[in-house]
Amino acid sequence: MPDEVLAQPALYTANAAPRLKAGRCTKCGYVFFPPQTYGCESCGALPDQLEAVELAGSGKLHSFATVHHHQDRSGKGLQAPFTVGLIVLDEGPAIRSLLLERTDEGLRIGDRMHSVLAPAGTDDAGKQIVELRFTKTEAAR
Amino acid sequence: MKKTIREMRPVYVVGIGLHKYQYMSETTFVTLGLTAVREALADAGIGFRDIESAYTGTALLGMAVSRPILRHLGASGIPMAQVENASASGSTAFRQACIDVASGISDIALAIGVDKPAPLAPAASKANIRDLVGARVVPFTHFALLANEYMNRYGLKPEQVAAVAVKNNRNGAKNPYAQRQKAVTLEEVMAGPPISGSLTRLQCCPVGEGAAAVVVASEEGIARLGIDRKRAIKVLASVTRTEHVYRGAKNFDAELTRETTAQAYEEAGVGPKALDLIELHDAFTIEELLYVEAMGLCAEGEGAAMIASGAVDIGGKCALSASGGLLAMGHPIGPTGAGQICEITRQLRGEAGARQQPNARTGLAHMVGIGAVCVVHILQKS
Repeated sequence: MPDEVLAQPALYTANAAPRLKAGRCTKCGYVFFPPQTYGCESCGALPDQLEAVELAGSGKLHSFATVHHHQDRSGKGLQAPFTVGLIVLDEGPAIRSLLLERTDEGLRIGDRMHSVLAPAGTDDAGKQIVELRFTKTEAAR
Repeated sequence: MKKTIREMRPVYVVGIGLHKYQYMSETTFVTLGLTAVREALADAGIGFRDIESAYTGTALLGMAVSRPILRHLGASGIPMAQVENASASGSTAFRQACIDVASGISDIALAIGVDKPAPLAPAASKANIRDLVGARVVPFTHFALLANEYMNRYGLKPEQVAAVAVKNNRNGAKNPYAQRQKAVTLEEVMAGPPISGSLTRLQCCPVGEGAAAVVVASEEGIARLGIDRKRAIKVLASVTRTEHVYRGAKNFDAELTRETTAQAYEEAGVGPKALDLIELHDAFTIEELLYVEAMGLCAEGEGAAMIASGAVDIGGKCALSASGGLLAMGHPIGPTGAGQICEITRQLRGEAGARQQPNARTGLAHMVGIGAVCVVHILQKS
């Protein structure tokens, strides 16, 4: 996808099924997202004891909410309604992400979810920006 | 050996004052603060010259807030400092004033909360740690997610969560200091406008401006200044904790409240059954259900049924958010936690008028703030 740019390349890979760039403490094993290199929140291990790990973008929907009231000061960004999900990843961490589903219709707590890249406007050079979203994994997949 | 507040000198609330919580206006923070402090000093029957230390809880006004307010009471040279602890700033300023008196550093100390709305971003936003959602998830969506999970877990309807706003607005309608002073029906709450998930506008607290002030005193201070002992309310416990790491999707707001309240019960030597009223962080309706369960007032999942039963109305077993809470009285940030102490003191004195909880003897004040922090105080009539 040479003509696409990632909205947040520090947080996910450019695959069609993007992987999440997370962190792991080599001292206590704590896995965390978003990544940081200041020190382990769980045990206090130093930055050189933290390693980068990738998490498969798959998990279960823990809760969801369709946002009806949203102010985007630029006016060019995301407009309501959109739906946010809290997803417990198969590796353990719980993360919040925008869902591909614009509203909560058809969503149920416990649904299997997976990551995708979705269009999110264009940059100054006219290139397509894509960002990570989660979407419901249909049973047939 | 370390000590709790209760194991040091006894601390009493002897003066309370407020500036009405309201939508942002031309009123300066100086006028807001002075109104509350003058009312608290008059309530205690003392002068500003009697105050020996002062803390101002504020999150949005900027550097050095105390003296631009307090100098107009006659600059006396006392120690003053600002306390910023997110939504719990006023609660933490009160705690610092209590610590001064309990330790013996001061006999009379003042805690203020004052704020006006301002677009000030939390420090964490400058840590260069970005998540996937950024500003697309603001507090109301954080709590809409919790509401979604809670309703699903216990098989509840949105109306059962929204009922919290009906109760708290009914209480707020009787509070002259409240930002929202109008009783609303469940139909009005549900009619919206929708904000996020099942939360409608009246299920989200108004953030405006205001001020609250509390004077605390030692027994020596009360005796020296001839303060009315019958109206003095004792501080039984003062506890604050911060979030640790909770694995998976565990609800940290409720867990932190559970831990902090449990420690406060232990320090005070009272349990949830002893409470006649609670002022808690009901910034969103769902929070009241989560926190009363975490405080042990009822079993997990029973909060909505308890609200519906009337047991937590004024006149019930334990009045929840008799002031109107954050939902109706409002949440001007800095003042909110100090304002809770004002309400509990007024109630325990039996001076709350139309919203008086009968025979109130023991009350609990609870705030959480982003970070996350939690502050709990337990007060009791002597």
